[in-house]
Amino acid sequence: MLEARGLVKAYATPRGKPPLRVLDGVDLCVAGGRLAVVLGASGSGKSTLLNVVGLLEDADAGEVTLGGERVSALGRSARSRARGRYVGFVFQSFLLLPSLTALDNVLLAARYAGRAGADARRRARDLLAQFGVLERQAHYPPQLSGGEQQRVAFCRAVLNDPPVLLADEPTGNLDDANGRVILDALRARARAGAAVVVVSHRADAAGGADAVYRMRDGRLESERAVHQGGTR
Amino acid sequence: MGRITRRYGFTIAGIAIGVAGIVALGAMGERIVRFIEGGDRFVLGQISVAGKGMGMGAGFTAGGMLPASAIRAIAAVPGVSGVQAQVMLPLNPSTSQFMTLTQELILGVDLSVPSPNRQFPTLPIREGRQLRAGDRGVAVVGASFATSHGLRVGSALTLEGEAYRVVGVLERTLTAPDRFVMVAIEDARRQWVAKDRMLRTIIASGAAAVNAADLNTGAAVGWRDGEDPDAVARRITERVEGVNVQIPSELSALLRSSTAFFSALLGGIGALAFVIGGLSLANTIAAAVFERLRDFGVKRALGATDWQLGREVLAEALAVTLSGGAVGVALAILLGASVDRWAARSGQQLFLFSGRLLGGALVFSVLLGAAAAAYATLRVVRLSPAEAIRRGA
Repeated sequence: MLEARGLVKAYATPRGKPPLRVLDGVDLCVAGGRLAVVLGASGSGKSTLLNVVGLLEDADAGEVTLGGERVSALGRSARSRARGRYVGFVFQSFLLLPSLTALDNVLLAARYAGRAGADARRRARDLLAQFGVLERQAHYPPQLSGGEQQRVAFCRAVLNDPPVLLADEPTGNLDDANGRVILDALRARARAGAAVVVVSHRADAAGGADAVYRMRDGRLESERAVHQGGTR
Repeated sequence: MGRITRRYGFTIAGIAIGVAGIVALGAMGERIVRFIEGGDRFVLGQISVAGKGMGMGAGFTAGGMLPASAIRAIAAVPGVSGVQAQVMLPLNPSTSQFMTLTQELILGVDLSVPSPNRQFPTLPIREGRQLRAGDRGVAVVGASFATSHGLRVGSALTLEGEAYRVVGVLERTLTAPDRFVMVAIEDARRQWVAKDRMLRTIIASGAAAVNAADLNTGAAVGWRDGEDPDAVARRITERVEGVNVQIPSELSALLRSSTAFFSALLGGIGALAFVIGGLSLANTIAAAVFERLRDFGVKRALGATDWQLGREVLAEALAVTLSGGAVGVALAILLGASVDRWAARSGQQLFLFSGRLLGGALVFSVLLGAAAAAYATLRVVRLSPAEAIRRGA
């Protein structure tokens, strides 16, 4: 379960102009087993919303609760641990570490959660096999195609089976076929019980979503709620 | 370590160059320090006495002739444990006698008397043997002298037209004895007469009664256990006429003040090397950390705490600085060996890679690398993961 209340985030602007208010009292609640899609133009604040609810960035105001724990009030190290415990990220630009092999990139998530070991290695291989990139496990990111890199990044995001999965333009750098693979995988994670939030500027990302929102002027507007009980 | 080397090849190379600079300049400094320390130990190990006035004597025996009567008088002074008559001459009188830092010298010693020098009772031999009582026409040469003149045990050596055979080569001391030709005092006296036209004229004219035993440029004087060497030296000055007595502590101070310029130069070079090399090293490590800003952002997004990240960065920084430091030390030694091979042709050694220098350089680079990495890490962890990813992209 992911719950955010009254999120406010503003960025400083040069030459004394008033701060740019990117989030202006945003509420978002996504229950486990639900997929929410946030649509919006570039610069509308979608990624900032995802960063704030994923504890990658502080909000100026508001609070975030993950798995029932009010994580926005935690200190820096505790928040890092909460991030590792509750959240998996899928980024538009994959963000694999170029100096690590595909397998080691996936295992990074286990390392920081203190779960590195034979079990994690076995699960990482299973995930790579499930996404058709097991034979590329010893390859480095620059040796992989964009689609392969995103599949590896997805394996990394779900290795610890996080209850919340956040995807920032996950298909932005992919062709249609690879984009479908990733979107299907995100839907599958939701069906498996995770609270999944996808932000995208592409309307087709909203297919199969339980709720669709649009970011406009720093506010989140509901466009469609398929299962009213799960999202709002 | 292999992975580290592959990933940080250029960083290691950058550190290696900085450390090589520090070590090479440090090794030149060590070389000068050894020379100064060696001279200091020598003068503090004996009381050096020369005859009053001017003469052929060089080095610490520079002065006038020290006759046998003066030697006997010195031996009778209370507190004196032994006196060894010496003749110290410039090998080539055409060069300045004051350039004793690099001058080649003939040292004739009275082999019937043990050396009274407490620091150097004997000079260490690398090859062959020491001079023995009764030796004539043989020489023990210093390591630099042997190299520059192409001598080894059994080699022939001609001094003022006289043939000598080399029976020993001294260990390299990096001090004055490296340029010595040591012979029996009787041989050195003949060398003196051959070199000094005025002395030959005086002896030939019979104007002064000069015996062979009077031909000494100085003497090394020892003191009894429990005696203050400075006090013994002053006692000799008071009780023996016509002598110049070097007070050990004053001579040591004089030696230090005469090498003060080199010491200051050395200190300046060393400080500069540490600042330049240190800045280069710290900058390289910090840049290597900042270059991976995006990676650190990703790791924090995956749940890495400040402590986990700091530990990782520190471990990598230590591995990188150690690798760079080791390569830098190896580079400096290689460079020093190449230059010294060239310099050895003129009997010089410019570098001294002492254990304390190499250990110090490694410790310095590791500490500085760790400090730079810690500073960079603190800067990195202050950023939010999102900001780190944005800035590192």
